[in-house]
Amino acid sequence: MAGAIIENMSTKKLVIVGVALLLCQAFTFMVGGLIAPSPTTAVPYLATKCVDTIKHRQESKWFMPWGPNQCHKIRSFDEATAKMIEANNIVFAVHIPLPNKEMSSWFQFMLVILQFDIAFKMYNQIEDGAMVTIDVGLAYRDDTISEWTEMAHSFEQRKLSCNFTTAKTYENEGRYYECDLMPFMEVGSVSHKYYLLNMRLPVNERKKVNVGIGEIKDIRLVSIHQNGGFTQVWFAMKTFLTPSILIIMIWYWRRITLMSRPPVLLEKVILALGISMTFINIPVEWFSISFNWTWMLLFGDIRQGIFYSMLLSFWIIFCGEHLMETQFFEALVLGRGELKMCVSCVPAIQIFPERPTNKSQDQTERNRFSVYWKQVGPIVFGSFCLFIFDMCERGVQLTNPFYSIWASDVGTELAMAFIIVAGICACLYFLFLCFMVFQVFRNISGKRTSLPAMSKARRLHYEGLIFRFKFLMLVTLICAAMTVIFFIISQVNEGHWHWGEHTVQVNSAFFTGIYGMWNLYVFAIMFLYAPSHKRYGDEQSSGQCITGDAGANSGEDIQLTTTITHVDGPTEIYKMTGKEAQE
Amino acid sequence: MFLHCETLYYAFILLNIYNFFFFWHAYLIYSSSVAAGAQSGIEECKYQFAWDRWNCPERALQLSTHSSLRSANRETAFVHAISSAGVMYTLTRNCSLGDFDNCGCDDSRNGQRGGHGWLWGGCSDNVGFGEAISKQFVDALETGQDARAAMNLHNNEAGRKAVKGTMQRTCKCHGVSGSCTTQTCWLQLPEFREVGNYLKEKYHRALKVDLLRGAGNSAASRGAIAETFSSISRKELVHLEDSPDYCLENRTLGLPGTEGRECLKKGKNLSKWEKRSCKRLCGECGLAVQERKAEMVSSCNCKFHWCCAVRCEQCRKTVTKYFCVKKGGQRGRNESASSRRKNLRLRKKH
Repeated sequence: MAGAIIENMSTKKLVIVGVALLLCQAFTFMVGGLIAPSPTTAVPYLATKCVDTIKHRQESKWFMPWGPNQCHKIRSFDEATAKMIEANNIVFAVHIPLPNKEMSSWFQFMLVILQFDIAFKMYNQIEDGAMVTIDVGLAYRDDTISEWTEMAHSFEQRKLSCNFTTAKTYENEGRYYECDLMPFMEVGSVSHKYYLLNMRLPVNERKKVNVGIGEIKDIRLVSIHQNGGFTQVWFAMKTFLTPSILIIMIWYWRRITLMSRPPVLLEKVILALGISMTFINIPVEWFSISFNWTWMLLFGDIRQGIFYSMLLSFWIIFCGEHLMETQFFEALVLGRGELKMCVSCVPAIQIFPERPTNKSQDQTERNRFSVYWKQVGPIVFGSFCLFIFDMCERGVQLTNPFYSIWASDVGTELAMAFIIVAGICACLYFLFLCFMVFQVFRNISGKRTSLPAMSKARRLHYEGLIFRFKFLMLVTLICAAMTVIFFIISQVNEGHWHWGEHTVQVNSAFFTGIYGMWNLYVFAIMFLYAPSHKRYGDEQSSGQCITGDAGANSGEDIQLTTTITHVDGPTEIYKMTGKEAQE
Repeated sequence: MFLHCETLYYAFILLNIYNFFFFWHAYLIYSSSVAAGAQSGIEECKYQFAWDRWNCPERALQLSTHSSLRSANRETAFVHAISSAGVMYTLTRNCSLGDFDNCGCDDSRNGQRGGHGWLWGGCSDNVGFGEAISKQFVDALETGQDARAAMNLHNNEAGRKAVKGTMQRTCKCHGVSGSCTTQTCWLQLPEFREVGNYLKEKYHRALKVDLLRGAGNSAASRGAIAETFSSISRKELVHLEDSPDYCLENRTLGLPGTEGRECLKKGKNLSKWEKRSCKRLCGECGLAVQERKAEMVSSCNCKFHWCCAVRCEQCRKTVTKYFCVKKGGQRGRNESASSRRKNLRLRKKH
């Protein structure tokens, strides 16, 4: 890993690369903020109360709330009481979308939230722990005249968690309870134009079904879907980012394979990071436009999960490797001038202070992933928990779109358990990470003082090491801070800012900007931490990589295209230190 | 050339007819919602002022400018505000029922009309639509250009702002595994009672504008009116005159007076305002409070379903009610009148 491009690059070029990346970053933010609409739209619906007049039907009939063939509807339940209509004959019908509009596969997903308007009555209050049983059917059609086709049908139970904020008196009869939102339905692809929901609240006093749920006045639904414009911008971004990451990844791996030594763990991890980023980037969503792939939502979650765990693992391993190298540095300072010690650092520089001469063992130790089991374990376990949780929620929704793990008590406890375990894993991970970063910094600051006393090549190597580490730390911190800041802004903010005549969609900017940022992050890591071709021991320019004397290094191009016989950094160091020792 | 002019003329007439029918068509679509909205406004007004001296009598609720006795007091301000709020509320609500074809999608927020805008960036909130139509219908009743008209328009606007101001922002998280990385928020209509309570507060803090003196119809005074009203926050209610004495019956103003009104005295969960209602309605108006016991038939031990079916037993119980009567004399007549009213009210409750 020593002799990465970042160390051997002149400050000028580093600045150029940095500015180019920043421009790309600003561009991704602007794409989201100025071109794309807001990411999602929420459409409120009020269920129409239809009356099912036929007593015993053979086949299922669908009730339309409006338009031709609309059902026989009533405006309020007082009307129903007057006409002696029973609760079992009332069907709540909601047509998605509203008149004159149609759904599109560009909407990607649709989730529906349920809310009851329940009036307070002194003698008909909501009982504790009341459950609503909903007999719900979902149907679709693709033109306005054909028959409805059933998509799903289910009996769903939802827990009513309502409270009445004002005093429970006669005077306040008729006021509504404040009820929590209930997740109702989630479909992972919107491939049909029209959807129809028919809900019934069957009453059965013997079985205690829908008894003690108060006086329901209305059923409100809110459907949330991704905006078509946002989907298009998002797809365009993915389509553009995939080749950029792919190309830099291939280039990076080619550099590694060109070296005379086998790749070390850190290099492999960086490659894995690139692969997982590409995995997210590949715009397979294009297929969801023409195919009815309901598992796309779940697949997207899995892809994101893989990337996040890869990124977290990368940070740990990066810190770990640098920790070891600084520890080696310690050993080297202690045993300065001993050639034997320096021989042992070929090709990789890793020696534990306790066992400074055991070369083969150290090398395998360094290249083994299992050294990090303690740190990577929580990541894997936490992601696994979240995966199980996601499978329980979105996996089951593939077959029953009305399923929700939060609807039942056992499910809620299970889900909470998974999430809490994942949270503990995350805390554990961050403790490990912070501890490691702290250790590296302690080592660095401790050894700073002894740097001037070292020979030039050795000093350069360790200055490079420190620089490399600090650079990544800085960039990572900035990226993480940006993510957190934008996340907070998008949570607090109304979603869009007005800037004169322009409307800036903050939420969209957050999504495209943060997505672009992590892409650029991975891109920059693969580019800057790829092994350099440059010779190390060039006496004239050797100081420049750190001090950044930009004037005199026109000949110091990073030789991206050279295919000369490769001499990589550590070997150079070995030569240099060897030479010194001979002297 | 002549022919050409003629064609233009006919085209112009046709356009006018088209406009007329367009408006008429729009009127037919929305009129039932507008009427229902105004009605709900009135009901809310009655509820809010049940224990005030002025109790929102039907006569006060004529929004039109044609009524010869146009008062411009606090109560008128409230009536205008609650009516336009009711219209806006009902229109917005009926939007989500699917009653109208173009809710929220006919504006130019995304620069595109109709279908493409919906696909690209969704529609704007229904409440914007409700506001626009309410403005079109309710404000159209105000034809004058004097201070009263300006006041009514201002209060109409305040009513609409009240609906917007009481809307609740609700959010739902739906990111990876249901986390909050993605969340969608929307504005939700409150109960109409919330709007009523909000406007009642505004009613108590209504601002008086002194514009009636020297009110001409000259351009200068019109400018002064516009200037005055534009300096007042659009959320506040505005009135020009002081309220008359609602204690006394006033036939010219169409005020019934507080005689014979019911008031509240004892009760566990009464608010301060309600507890003082007998003092306010009777005592301070120079009337006496009369206690009457009435036997009431009410339903009890009911078994409810969430809708419609209620099976109850009939229970009888005695309730004490309080009414305002004139001090001494004429008791008999009042009693019969008020008991009739009371019976009516009791019947209404069930």
